[in-house]
Amino acid sequence: MKYQSFVGLEIHIQLITETKVFCSCPNNFGDEPNTNVCPVCMGYPGALPSLNEEAVFKALKVSRALNCHINEKAVFERKNYFYPDMPKNYQISQFEFPFGINGYFDLELDDGSVKRIRIHDVHLEEDAGKMIHDAYQSRLDYNRAGTPLLEIVTEPDLLDGREAELFVQQFRQLVRYLEVTDGNMEEGSLRCDANTSINLPGKGLGTKTEVKNLNSSRFVNKALTYEIKRHAKVLDKGDTIVQETRLWDEGSSTTRSMRSKEDSHDYRYFPEPDLPPFRPDAALMARVEEAMIELPNDRKKRYEAELKLTSDQAVFITAEKNTADWFEAVLAAGADASQTAAWLSGDIQKILNKEGKSIEQSPFTPERIKELFDLINSNRISNNIGKDVLQAIFDEDRDPSAIVKEKGLEQVSDTGAVEKVVEEVLAAHRAVVDAIRAGEDKQIGFLMGQLMKATGGKVNPQLAREMIVNKIKRSE
Amino acid sequence: MSDIKRWAKALTESADSYKKYVGSWEEKIGSFLQFDPEAAQADSSGQGLLAVIPFGVKDNIAVKGFNMTCGSKILENFDCPYTATAVENLQKAGAVPVGKMNMDEFGMGSSTDNSALAETHNPWDTSRVAGGSSGGSAAAVAAGQVPFALGSDTGGSVRQPASFCGVYGLKPTYGTVSRYGLTAYASSLETIGVCAETAGLTRDVFKAMRGKDIMDNTTVEYKPSGKDDVETVAVLKAGEGDLNVDVLRSYKTSIARLKDLGYKTVEVELPTLKYVVPAYYVIATAEASANLARFNGIRYGLAAQGAETPSALMEETRHSGFGDEVKLRILLGTYVLRSGFQDQFYHRAQKIRTAILNDFNRIFESADALMMPVFPTAAFRHGSSDLTQLQQKAADLYTCSANLAGLPALAVPSTIEEGLPVGVQFMAPAFEEERLFRIAEKLEAVFPAQKPEGYSQEWKA
Ligand SMILES: [Zn+2]
Repeated sequence: MKYQSFVGLEIHIQLITETKVFCSCPNNFGDEPNTNVCPVCMGYPGALPSLNEEAVFKALKVSRALNCHINEKAVFERKNYFYPDMPKNYQISQFEFPFGINGYFDLELDDGSVKRIRIHDVHLEEDAGKMIHDAYQSRLDYNRAGTPLLEIVTEPDLLDGREAELFVQQFRQLVRYLEVTDGNMEEGSLRCDANTSINLPGKGLGTKTEVKNLNSSRFVNKALTYEIKRHAKVLDKGDTIVQETRLWDEGSSTTRSMRSKEDSHDYRYFPEPDLPPFRPDAALMARVEEAMIELPNDRKKRYEAELKLTSDQAVFITAEKNTADWFEAVLAAGADASQTAAWLSGDIQKILNKEGKSIEQSPFTPERIKELFDLINSNRISNNIGKDVLQAIFDEDRDPSAIVKEKGLEQVSDTGAVEKVVEEVLAAHRAVVDAIRAGEDKQIGFLMGQLMKATGGKVNPQLAREMIVNKIKRSE
Repeated sequence: MSDIKRWAKALTESADSYKKYVGSWEEKIGSFLQFDPEAAQADSSGQGLLAVIPFGVKDNIAVKGFNMTCGSKILENFDCPYTATAVENLQKAGAVPVGKMNMDEFGMGSSTDNSALAETHNPWDTSRVAGGSSGGSAAAVAAGQVPFALGSDTGGSVRQPASFCGVYGLKPTYGTVSRYGLTAYASSLETIGVCAETAGLTRDVFKAMRGKDIMDNTTVEYKPSGKDDVETVAVLKAGEGDLNVDVLRSYKTSIARLKDLGYKTVEVELPTLKYVVPAYYVIATAEASANLARFNGIRYGLAAQGAETPSALMEETRHSGFGDEVKLRILLGTYVLRSGFQDQFYHRAQKIRTAILNDFNRIFESADALMMPVFPTAAFRHGSSDLTQLQQKAADLYTCSANLAGLPALAVPSTIEEGLPVGVQFMAPAFEEERLFRIAEKLEAVFPAQKPEGYSQEWKA
């Protein structure tokens, strides 16, 4: 393409908190409509906001993780516009002095290189309620009104739809790691507006358009790819881009105009007189610092370098914080990293996918898995029996040693007992024994199979194999 | 039995004669929008400093059991679901809210004539206004209907009607009394205040209702300096161009009385005073334009009938629900907040705000308190014959300075001029309300507040 493109994102995340951001109603908007409301979040006359410090803490966590400068004095402002789902007809937000400014996020691109994306600011605000229209009426549910929303605004440092998609994915992983949001895009806990402009190389930013309410990272990519092409066609024809807000239509895979700049609101921001400026003190900042966990990318690198995991394993395990935390808990219980990684990305994941459970909710406690590994590594059960025991741990929610004991799954390693079975098998398959003597070593596998069949797989395979070979060779 | 303890009879043994007395004044002055001593009696502790004392509450302050109309059609039938913290604190101290007081719609006015619901007259002369916006509160106290009533003071709305009716009127330090439950007009300027029949009762009510409140993040710890005695009183220079003849005469009397009582007085000027009214109206209307946006017919209050869309519902409700003065101030506030105009209006007003505070601070370096006029006139006649709406606004200069600076101010009844009471106000540094009460009590001991004709305590007998 002869043009250079610029993409910036505005991402809203719904913070997980006990209560709403300015009142003590539960932050739980899926409940029966208009049950989690009070004079404050319903905008009753005389009600005042009082700031929820848990929301502030999470806002600061995100600001810090995005390497922002933390404003010494964060100021809330009123953003004025009328909308039926907004009880006060102004939104308490931040404008000139948000919690975090001038940060960056290191984005990993498809070729493995890293691109630094500047973060303009991180600000805290309140969400609106929900308006539901049908043919005859509009109904309003204010359960969501006043729930905490964190907005992250990037500079237009992204190149195109694909980079924006990667940003959304990696950003989502980060905020889920920080445990500030569940990041569910379909349900709206992570919402994305994308703006883009194009220009001839070296000419700087062009006239931008914004696409609102993209609810998957794939749509972010598709909408931006469409917009950049559309801009190029307009410019190619010698026309100019109209600065406007557009909507993505998934059905037609196109964007359409929603409102032009002329129709845009003058929000008449001014400092919220009901909330004094917030000054994060040293104790709070120390708590934020303490909460700065290892971020996903760092963790992945450490798993590859120090634990010698394969890149695929490291990516898989660090994708979700709960998986990686579980993995480390198993290691802390004394298990081997490679063995844990292999089982985790193999059979454990298979069972969890099939049963639709997350690892921390499953019966797979780190202690049980370590115990299972011990049983295998000490040859008390075979690797294959181990897989059955794993399924039994899930099904029965019991410790592996108890399962092995009760079901009699322990390998027979007693020489006398093994010898007895080996002799029976050899006696039953004289022809095969003769073939092996004649040099067909492959047939040993057949005898092993018969042996396992006769014992339900419980014979220590190494011991049995040695014994078969010895017996056949000895009687030569 | 102290006089205040006698008031407890109003809700006990003398309940019937009390109601009759209140009713007889109501016919003349109309201070109440709602009077019902039983409505919230169960929510009072019944014991404490103010045990079973009746009080009135300006109708922009929330009290469960009553409506809260704010003097507006848009909230005419609004049944209030909760109680303001300041009222709750008084209920804990035993006091009983008996009714809601008339006011200028949403506190916007100086006469109570801007109430969309009822007319209130001055107990001293019913052809005259009680002042505003807390006119109902001041009138009721002056007439002896209640010993005290809560008002709200955004630019003088407690002190000016107190002065017009001859009662004490306190605007406390900003942040000392919770605003939770006070319908917001101009949040950064206003406080809940008290109209009361004596200086001592004003103090008791203030003490009972103040305190840091988790429901109002702008409340602060009360931290007075401990220096309560007043020796030097600064006196603002005021002449014929500033005050009506009657008020000027009264002001001079007040100065003479201060000297007689042994106070050292020094005359001072406030260079910023001429800028405070424009600054006040910029900030007040800006905040009001946002504060009043919530009244849209959807969740409570008036809802326009037959609207086809949500936006039509909001528009028509606001069109028919708000009075002219309210619409004017919302428009002004919207105008001054437009992007590109904030430096010219809103930010400049904030600078004036800082400047007037600096003026006061400079004065309080060498004086313990400051005496100023309350209003350039005594109670004026209903309508615009004495003072137009614009003149009424310009006359806010003495009172609104305290709101811009966040400082405490107390209006004290001084003299009777041509049959009308005239008050004077005292100001002090933040948290130094006690100094104001001490000056007021010293004056009161020699020159107690006069009562209008028809005022009686006989029902208590
Ligand atoms: Zn609430």
